[in-house]
Amino acid sequence: MPATNAHSGTKSVLIIDDDPDFTAAVRATLEREGYAVVEASSGAEGLRKLRECEPDLVVLDVMMESSTAGYGVNELIKHSGEYDTLGQTPVIMVSSIQESPDDLYPRAPEVDMIRPDRYLTKPLDIQKFLEIVRKTLRR
Amino acid sequence: MTEGLEQGGSVVVIDDDYAMRLSCDQTLAKVGYRVATFEDGARGLEAVGELKPGLVVVDLKMPGLSGLDVIARLHEIDPSIIIVVITGYATISTAIDAMKAGAYDFLPKPFAPDELRLIVGRGFERRRLQRLSQQCEIDRELQRRRFVTFVSHQLKTPLVAVHQYLDVLRQLGDAPEAEAKRREWLDRCLIRTDELRRLIDDWLTLAQLEGGSLGRRRVPVDLREVIPPIVETYEAVATRDGITVAADLPTEPCIVRGDPTCLGVLIDNLVANAIKYNRPGGRVCVRAEQHPGEIVVEVVDTGIGISEAALPLLFDEFFRVAQPGGRRVEGTGLGLPICRRIASEHGGVIDVESTEGVGSRFVVRLPAARTDGVPAQEQPA
Repeated sequence: MPATNAHSGTKSVLIIDDDPDFTAAVRATLEREGYAVVEASSGAEGLRKLRECEPDLVVLDVMMESSTAGYGVNELIKHSGEYDTLGQTPVIMVSSIQESPDDLYPRAPEVDMIRPDRYLTKPLDIQKFLEIVRKTLRR
Repeated sequence: MTEGLEQGGSVVVIDDDYAMRLSCDQTLAKVGYRVATFEDGARGLEAVGELKPGLVVVDLKMPGLSGLDVIARLHEIDPSIIIVVITGYATISTAIDAMKAGAYDFLPKPFAPDELRLIVGRGFERRRLQRLSQQCEIDRELQRRRFVTFVSHQLKTPLVAVHQYLDVLRQLGDAPEAEAKRREWLDRCLIRTDELRRLIDDWLTLAQLEGGSLGRRRVPVDLREVIPPIVETYEAVATRDGITVAADLPTEPCIVRGDPTCLGVLIDNLVANAIKYNRPGGRVCVRAEQHPGEIVVEVVDTGIGISEAALPLLFDEFFRVAQPGGRRVEGTGLGLPICRRIASEHGGVIDVESTEGVGSRFVVRLPAARTDGVPAQEQPA
């Protein structure tokens, strides 16, 4: 069941992050801006919720059940072909790792598979984050 | 067989003597090397740039560019190239100069085909080991960097949560929902800062154990005296969770030579885990027994157990056992690495047996202290 309310036009965001406190803070921020929020505390749960809720945007942590779980989730969403049109869902990757996948693996051809639409470092600059969410969802 | 032969190793021979070039070519090609020969240093160097050989055989005494000049230029092209110099008896001191300049070995003329094959084979083996060692160094550095990234991530996680709460609270200002969130989130901030403090404390303990500034004290310690206060400390929290904690201690002494504080930390961590990963109605029992030459401490629980997949990773830094239903259990992921370190610092070992859904049994084996009348005075480790 898609989380977006077709009548009101409310956009939905799926937060995939294993830290409940970070998720609670980001959730409050997004809900205050009028977005519907769905949570998942692991990469595997995130992929399930993606199918169930068909969110308009995914906010994705990197280190969860494994140190690269978020990379795997991004790859599965965007490149496995298993998620049909959901594969187009924009992904904002958020992590306290300062380096983006491109910084970490500058010469690896596989980096194309794990590159998100945006990479932001934690803690989020809330104003900048909301601006990016707005822009991404306007596309 | 050497790597050079397995890969059809490429060899360049630079010698102004036609007969010598021919002989080297035939000798080495016969055992599978790809050989290219050149009559002077300039042409040889040009070819080395293109052919990228693993090994170069070079005559020291040639018209034009000398062998020593060639060695210097070869290492500019490829520092890992193996150089074997050929020299007459009369120029043995020059051969030594050549080795000082970076040649791998030298072969005095005249030499038998087998001598050339042997030295070239050893040269390629040397190159293989050099590359292996470089790869090990790269892997070690990569692993170190990954570990640093991982540790900093673990330390940042609670800090990020606190920062994010405070930043969002600031943004909420006097909004109607702000007050309820402020109360709830301030409590969470305190819990997370406490988590960070424990993480830093544990990390410091581990670093001090590894650096040798902790756990060096060696005095006779009767573990029967260490265990009861720990069990008492946890009784209240265990009872609250519906878990019983008990000690089962023998009448005879269980004396080890060690650092009483560290041994306390070891047992404390095991008991804390046994309660944390338990469930209402569960039991925890701490036993100590004297076995021949060793004292065996067991912490047995009827908790949730550990999966077979998780067991080999259990003593790794920051490893946390995933909980059913994603339940979060407080902890730093450093308790068991600390236990293992303390056990090994005391000449002992720690091991675990576990069945998922049934419980776990942690066993610590420490060398028993001699009780043959040796005065129980404090001694450095």
